[in-house]
Amino acid sequence: MSGKPVRAVKLNVINEPKDSYTGGKSSLCPGCGHDQISSVIVNAAWDNGIEPHRIAKMSGIGCSSKTPAYYLGQSHGFNTVHGRMPSVTTGANVVNTGLTYLGVSGDGDSASIGIGQLIHAIRRNVDMVYIVENNGVYGLTKGQYSATADIGSKKKKGAVNETQPIDLCAMAINLGCSFVARSFSGSKKQLTAIIKAAMSHKGFALIDVISPCVTFNNNDESLRSYGYVKDNSAELHSVGYIPHFSPLEQVEVPAGSYRDITLHDGSTMRLETISEDHDISDAVAALGALHKADAERKHVMGLLYFDGDKPSLDTELDLHDTPIVEMGEDILRPSPEKLDKVISALRG
Amino acid sequence: MDRIVNDFTINIATANGTGSQSANLILLQTLFDMGIPVSGKNLFPSNISGLPTWYIVRLSEHGYQAPGDRTHIQVLVNPATWEEDLASLEPGSVVIWNMDSKMAMEREDVISYPVPMTKIARGLNPKLARMIANVVYVGVLAELLGMDQDVLEAAIAKQFGGKEKAIELNSEAARLGRAYCAEELTKSDPYAVEARDVEEGGFFIEGNEATALGSIFGGVQMLSWYPITPSSSLAEGIIAWLPELRTHEGKATYAVLQAEDELAAAGMVLGAGWAGARGMTATSGPGISLMQEFIGLAYFAEVPSVFWDVNRVGPSTGLPTRTQQGDLTMLYEGSHGDTQHIVFIPGTVEECFEFGWRVFDAAERFQTPVFGFSDLDLGMNKWAMREFEYPSEPMDRGKVVLTKEQMDSIDNYGRYRDVDGDGIPYRTLPGSGLDPILYRGTGHDEDGTYSEKPDVYYKLMQRLKRKIDGARDKLPAPVVREEEEQDIGVIFYGSMENTIEEIDDILEEMSGKKVSTLRVRALPLHSDVQAFVENHNNVIILEINRDAQLYGIMRKEYPNHLLNKMHSVAYSDGMPPRARLYAERIMEVLKEVGA
Repeated sequence: MSGKPVRAVKLNVINEPKDSYTGGKSSLCPGCGHDQISSVIVNAAWDNGIEPHRIAKMSGIGCSSKTPAYYLGQSHGFNTVHGRMPSVTTGANVVNTGLTYLGVSGDGDSASIGIGQLIHAIRRNVDMVYIVENNGVYGLTKGQYSATADIGSKKKKGAVNETQPIDLCAMAINLGCSFVARSFSGSKKQLTAIIKAAMSHKGFALIDVISPCVTFNNNDESLRSYGYVKDNSAELHSVGYIPHFSPLEQVEVPAGSYRDITLHDGSTMRLETISEDHDISDAVAALGALHKADAERKHVMGLLYFDGDKPSLDTELDLHDTPIVEMGEDILRPSPEKLDKVISALRG
Repeated sequence: MDRIVNDFTINIATANGTGSQSANLILLQTLFDMGIPVSGKNLFPSNISGLPTWYIVRLSEHGYQAPGDRTHIQVLVNPATWEEDLASLEPGSVVIWNMDSKMAMEREDVISYPVPMTKIARGLNPKLARMIANVVYVGVLAELLGMDQDVLEAAIAKQFGGKEKAIELNSEAARLGRAYCAEELTKSDPYAVEARDVEEGGFFIEGNEATALGSIFGGVQMLSWYPITPSSSLAEGIIAWLPELRTHEGKATYAVLQAEDELAAAGMVLGAGWAGARGMTATSGPGISLMQEFIGLAYFAEVPSVFWDVNRVGPSTGLPTRTQQGDLTMLYEGSHGDTQHIVFIPGTVEECFEFGWRVFDAAERFQTPVFGFSDLDLGMNKWAMREFEYPSEPMDRGKVVLTKEQMDSIDNYGRYRDVDGDGIPYRTLPGSGLDPILYRGTGHDEDGTYSEKPDVYYKLMQRLKRKIDGARDKLPAPVVREEEEQDIGVIFYGSMENTIEEIDDILEEMSGKKVSTLRVRALPLHSDVQAFVENHNNVIILEINRDAQLYGIMRKEYPNHLLNKMHSVAYSDGMPPRARLYAERIMEVLKEVGA
């Protein structure tokens, strides 16, 4: 053979190339944090070896909600209406429990117009990953503050924000959300591990990702600019992920102290202590960490809270093992004899 | 005095939350079980306890089911409406009234039967006196009108199914009421009941429960709902019957979600439809208002979804416990932009069941939101019936591509490409691995890719129009009762079915003319409706709303030469339609146009 050597395409555990997980070309502003998150989603799904067509990608409306077009081109998706992705995902989830539901939303979508649906999806513990690409501004409508804009922060144009922000992680912890994490679009390693772990979790996983808006909110006075977040993040721990198909014993044991959490699908989340141990089963400690960081005008990063035992919505519904969507008329339509029984019951 | 047998109206005025509903249903059941054609209307307040309620029992040898023009026998239990109820009676009416209510009987021109209802009830059980007092008036009515005691006691047993103490207590109360009437009152009114041949197998059911059962036999896979009068009993009917009818190997073959609001309920329906399942919600007008955003998405992204609207009186919160046909236009043209939706309109409990399953077939066949349009009168009153017909057709799951072979056989597949020329594209399901797309509410081309191109948008909107237009003659055809004369026709829909016969008879009596009728059962309108208008000299479009909503749709869609012969009679006051009121309005319009 002559010519250039053929480079072997790297395959994942189910023999798929990464190309099977990529999507269309992004139309977001160059440098947008959301594009970084999209590439992390591609990597996480590929690394985890999820069949691409067994993922459902869901979103609402906004810059973030456009991104499902930019990843997982082999997955079905639904770019729904503003703030309503949780309900659509809930309806799909209960009839087809066999898919991995990956929701992507923004701070306008999640903290304002859709906060009610987000709250109730958490309350029901819908089995899904819910990523908030949180930049503190409405991008598509050209830079208005959102409900997560930090007090004292100033976007590129306009006054300093003095309105109390909504901390989605604190809210989720108070609601008993079974998986609550905060990360940064610029922290690729941490974010990848958290998204992988969220995909392995059964229940609602909220990941609040600070994702700077390079056009409207990346100036020095903003608390959500790349520069500010890099310099002012408070990491709870370093997060690692060991998939269920990799033997745990072959993974190098960390030098310092660490904590392993077994996830629903058998994978492991490894949290390595940085300065002090954060107990992820302690909601009060998680809220304390958030408040402390807030007082110091810092962004806390890592897995804040986790409850692997909380039953998810589909479990509560006591559904048949066969997903409802796969059932045929023989099961879905009761027999004529059953109709006769109904009528005789009505006759009394 | 001539006896008036099986042809009069009883009006019972009570306060809600006092157990009067049970007493009234016992009365209705007793008459029904005696083979007397009877109907009951519950006029209840938006309240749990203490506000006025009226129950109207109409006996009619003609089988008329409307409330009737006037009250012949008034039962007065509620002091709050006492004077008003009394004042509204025609001279010669019968009044059975509670002597213990501290209210005066101030009319001399009525036949008065005072009964110490509370005292009798207290003597039986002081604690439950308020409840039992209601059954006392049932006993009085039974004696006065000549109802069979055994039939009455069987109805009591049925009402309190299995609760021996309640059955005994209420039976005794009825007996005491009866005894009081026999011993202390002298009958001086002409009203009486006579048993007729009883057709075996009849029973009462509310429209909402019939729709609920139809939905289950339609294979509902996901129900999401938010409580609202008058549709809650539809959702609760489904919830009540599902475990018995749809448990497989001990597990649920359905999911029920009580949503946080109607927006979420609609979103869940779309999620289920997108995933490939039969999802539905049940609500009323205020809920449909909130669902508009999702209805537009379902139309534009072509997601099968079912929405039941049990109409109550609007606008806004309106009269939450009264009936109307005021939501028709909102359903037909729901959401912003150009839309058009399929609407099924049952007029009977049999059709509530039938359309309960058919709506799913239509939603999946046409890949679009489909509405069931009922109302409070049909949905929440009890109607007599004998049989539900088992679904006559297998489930139609529409154009779903399930296998690679199927996909390969489709020439030039695109999620939104009109391959067959009927405006209906093929679809694949999430998880199938077949030609995945990102569904969106934004403009899209035939492959589902985002597009703002003028010709792409134009063609898409034309196809959607063609798709829904194509449904016209595949939806339930109108029910036509045509007279040879083909002079005057009346077009109506929904629960008006239960008043039309009486309206028809009054019209004939008033005008001397025979009138054809047509009941619309679905939108977009079947071609038979236009043919009916073509064939008649003058057509009245009769509806229970202010703004003549169906008339408006017909004026918009029908050719110019038909417009002059279509006339509207639209009236709504919250009450179930009273025949004479509508008949008189029809006569006025016919006079105006010289028909």
